[in-house]
Amino acid sequence: MNNTYDTLVIGSGIAGMEASLLLAKGGKKVCLVEKLPLIGGNIIKNEESYPHLECSTCMVAPVQQEILQHPNIDLMMLSTVQKVEGEAGDFHVTLHQKPRYVSLTACIGCGMCYEPCPVSLKNEWEENLSDKKAIYIACAGALPNVPVIDPEHCLQISGKKNCKACQEACMFEAIDFSDQENEVDIRVKTIVVATGFELLDVSHFSHLGYGKLPGVYTAMEFERLFASNGPTSGELTLRDGEKAPKSVAIVHCIGRKEQGYCSGVCCMSSLKHAHFVKHKLPDASITHFYSDLCVPGKLSQKFLHQVKEEGVHFIFQTDPEAVRVAENGSGLEVKYTHGKGVQETLSVDMVILEPAMIPDKTASQIAKILAIDQDNHGFFRTLDEKAGSTETSRSGIFVAGCAEGPKDAQYAVIQAESAVGHVVRSLSVSHTE
Amino acid sequence: MEDQKQKEEFFPKIVGYLCNWCTYAAADLAGSSKMELSPSLNVIRVMCSSRVDYNLVLTTFFGGADGILIAGCHPGDCHYDKGNYYARRRYALLKSILETLKLDPERLQLSWISASEGKRYVDVVNEFTERIKKLGPNPINRNAYY
Amino acid sequence: MRLKIGVYVCECGPNIAERVDIDRVIKVISSLEEFEDIELVVKRYKLLCSNDGQAFLKNEIESNALTHLVVAACSPRDHESTFMNVCKKTNLNPYLFNMVNIREHCAWVIPDKAKATEKAIRSIRAGIRRTLHQSELLERELDANPDVLIVGGGIAGMEAALMLADEKRKVCLIEKTERLGGKSIFYSQLLSRQGNSAKMIQQKIEAVQQNAHIQVFTETELESVVGFFGNFEIVLKVGKETELQTGLKAGAIVIATGFRLLNPNKLPQTVYQKEDEVYTTLEVESMILNEGKISLKSGKSPQSIALVHCVGRDEKGYCSTICCSTIIKIARMLKAKLPQISIRVYYRDLCLPHKTDQQTYEEVKAEGVDFIRVKEAGIQNTSIEYTQIDGVKKKESADMVILAPAMEPADGTEALAELLNVSLGETGFFQEAHHHLNPVATSIEGIYIVGAAQGPKGISESVAQAQAVSGKILNRLIPGEKIVPEVKVCKVLEDFCTGCQTCLEVCCYGAISFNEVKGVSVVNEAVCRGCGNCVASCPSGAMRAIHFTTPQLYREMIEAIR
Repeated sequence: MNNTYDTLVIGSGIAGMEASLLLAKGGKKVCLVEKLPLIGGNIIKNEESYPHLECSTCMVAPVQQEILQHPNIDLMMLSTVQKVEGEAGDFHVTLHQKPRYVSLTACIGCGMCYEPCPVSLKNEWEENLSDKKAIYIACAGALPNVPVIDPEHCLQISGKKNCKACQEACMFEAIDFSDQENEVDIRVKTIVVATGFELLDVSHFSHLGYGKLPGVYTAMEFERLFASNGPTSGELTLRDGEKAPKSVAIVHCIGRKEQGYCSGVCCMSSLKHAHFVKHKLPDASITHFYSDLCVPGKLSQKFLHQVKEEGVHFIFQTDPEAVRVAENGSGLEVKYTHGKGVQETLSVDMVILEPAMIPDKTASQIAKILAIDQDNHGFFRTLDEKAGSTETSRSGIFVAGCAEGPKDAQYAVIQAESAVGHVVRSLSVSHTE
Repeated sequence: MEDQKQKEEFFPKIVGYLCNWCTYAAADLAGSSKMELSPSLNVIRVMCSSRVDYNLVLTTFFGGADGILIAGCHPGDCHYDKGNYYARRRYALLKSILETLKLDPERLQLSWISASEGKRYVDVVNEFTERIKKLGPNPINRNAYY
Repeated sequence: MRLKIGVYVCECGPNIAERVDIDRVIKVISSLEEFEDIELVVKRYKLLCSNDGQAFLKNEIESNALTHLVVAACSPRDHESTFMNVCKKTNLNPYLFNMVNIREHCAWVIPDKAKATEKAIRSIRAGIRRTLHQSELLERELDANPDVLIVGGGIAGMEAALMLADEKRKVCLIEKTERLGGKSIFYSQLLSRQGNSAKMIQQKIEAVQQNAHIQVFTETELESVVGFFGNFEIVLKVGKETELQTGLKAGAIVIATGFRLLNPNKLPQTVYQKEDEVYTTLEVESMILNEGKISLKSGKSPQSIALVHCVGRDEKGYCSTICCSTIIKIARMLKAKLPQISIRVYYRDLCLPHKTDQQTYEEVKAEGVDFIRVKEAGIQNTSIEYTQIDGVKKKESADMVILAPAMEPADGTEALAELLNVSLGETGFFQEAHHHLNPVATSIEGIYIVGAAQGPKGISESVAQAQAVSGKILNRLIPGEKIVPEVKVCKVLEDFCTGCQTCLEVCCYGAISFNEVKGVSVVNEAVCRGCGNCVASCPSGAMRAIHFTTPQLYREMIEAIR
């Protein structure tokens, strides 16, 4: 691995991938750093993306393949940025890479190693809706199609037992229990931060029952439940694994008040979720609890009308977060305010909570390491005086995607391309100096 | 009895024209997930379902195929913008051509299978194989043409 | 020359070896009678994609002087490019190689080993047949002009011009009106932020005018464009006398034609006359900017102002994204200038998708602006008729009414789309190449869209798009570097072409044109992506997908079902 690059891209979601590929195609050398053992970010968790309900895998897999194969991109997975010194044109970056224990070059992705592994764990990438082994890939179709070992739970690596089941099953000598963590020093001229978002943890809204009532789901859990490469192969069944929900409540704006902003995309994904339920369970009744339907853009209202025509109900709430979810026999009941203060109750089998988008949990640490500003929500701040720009408070460092604020994939890609524009400009400045 | 036995032994020859971007990827996913698939299907990869023309479909039947599956991206998902809509139009016309040739139009199927739908790919192929098994061998005498 | 085909079966460790009887495959393939006149080299190898495997394959190609190569292994999606790269290191043209997928299609999905083996044999036979019908294809390089034409001198067009010119790209910026700045010059403040946009825009206009790399043509429109990515030839219609300027060349074209506001008078629910105190958001912003105050036509100060959202949202069928935050921004400016008066905002849904908007809204509400949620609202001169959320109808009046009308594509959008052969989406804005993955490109390679021409948006989003376009162009059109178009394209067999031009209609990329002199279609190989739709649409068999020809597919199919 060469250790000098034109650009370091942090995060391999849709924004990070677009920035890396566009630069690589323009002949720039890119180091792409991803903390997880797979690339693709949050978008690959969605089976379909609005407004066209386009299959995300079909859309993103060719991009992922290009990333994996492009000679100008060095991809470092399981890696984080530890230290950044220097300045625009010559940043000295220290990366920390966790061991994968499986060789990316030797492994061919046959999957023979999972079955013999005696350890069973919850698969957190699948929102804990399915199990995985201590050697695993996140989901079928994950790229690169090379597993990783969880060292904490692997009997061999954690020293609990001299188990070599996976190593014996592997015919390619791809598994190396002695794989070590690694520090890599690189020098880069520019940095693009694309660390993305996560959804607000909704378990602290105790009146919504998440974590206590099995029928309550987060938006991301529901996405995986619907996904044909997900825990149920796309079957919409409740956590008992058998019953399909006959009635579903979708609650908007969870955390909007607390966070102080509207995430701008959750209404559309809520509508998509309603459509998903209708698509697979046409007889299910669906009720949205919303306060504002924020469906901006030239195509979105049409989708709203389509969902309304599918027979989905909408109940206005001044504050949807104030609804209460309680147990009701084998199902759930949603208590809400109807009209002028009248309390009403709706019995449902499933509740989907649509939480706010918040910065990835690593954001503050990255802000400190890169010495760039965050806004009061924790997203990376761009230059106020340059509206719409992707320049951060530090020269040579640019931000793209949901690391800058909640947005849809389209705008994330636009920012990635914008960051690339700044990178090119910055590179020729450092070249002439 | 004899008839029944013959039908059971009938091993249909099915040709699948799969688009490179969606359905071929679904087939790969079915493979890497080790799902069980009917061996009757013979896959021919095309870049887009819109490449499959009347000529190709008809010569495939004249060549002796008992069934043809054309599969591509879902409407709206085409890697080439709108190719699969054209495939759908051609499919509609092909169905009626098959009727005039006294070939059961059920022998031709167009399915939308996305890259993440490995299981659906297997279901579509296996169901289609069962249907072709019920329909029996292609009545066109291949030797009359070749 | 005698043909010599190499057929290499990959064991893929146990993955293929244990599920397919490779010895039988080799025995059957080696003894096939139909390949009598062709020399076959059939071998197995433990893992062809490994470094050793690739070296083995390279040596095999060279030592056997293979004319064609078939690799029976995994999915071409995994390793087609790996083996093509091996070919490139030898004298074998990589397009005389074919990959047969016996892992995902046989070994992994057919539990019965005998059946999996039979299918593998059929597939390999089919693959050999196909390969024999493949032809050598060569990658080509085309010269490209790195200059850029930008249509529209609003904020998006100017930003793109400045970013590109900063990289010393020659930019030609044309503007229909007599001045730069577009609608942005009417704004006094940026959305959601306190920044002074008027100053920022003025600085941008001056920067554009002073930049030696940017040539500005005002009162200018496009007359014609021919050519393709890297090589557009452009004719402009310049000035009031509309004199034609020819000889202009560019590698890329950026559409930045912006928007117009819907005329509220066209809607049945907004009835008012010119003399009424009814204004659009843009008119009010301009009043604040130019006069520094808010006043009625009489010159008096209004005592009550009503602001109405979503004017034309239902009729247009889309939400214009920025009207809610625009109204909130205006309400705040009004409150600052006239703290004592009543300001009432009639809204349906608050659409505040930017991370700072919600906070601004809370602040403005706290400053004493009333927000009234309605199901629907209309105006009769300066009285507002609305339906409350509980269905009760109400009527109120104000001294001044400000409407937030929907954003529409700019005048002339349709004509421009036709001239450039790019598509418009269902709501009339320019259609992006891909909603998520390629939002600033159009389906025509080398033609890009930025700003409100692509869809309703504010200044920040327009600027971001303009910068995105510069990112794309700076990386795709590099001075001195050639562009490498797709190799597996379609071609016209001129003798067969009847000139019906069906192919022109089905091509999504505008890659096909018609040669009037010869009366035949012509494929521009620099633009064609090789989907093959034109091939299937051609009624006379004149169109050929050069790596997916009918003989190739037909032979492959016939062997597969033999």
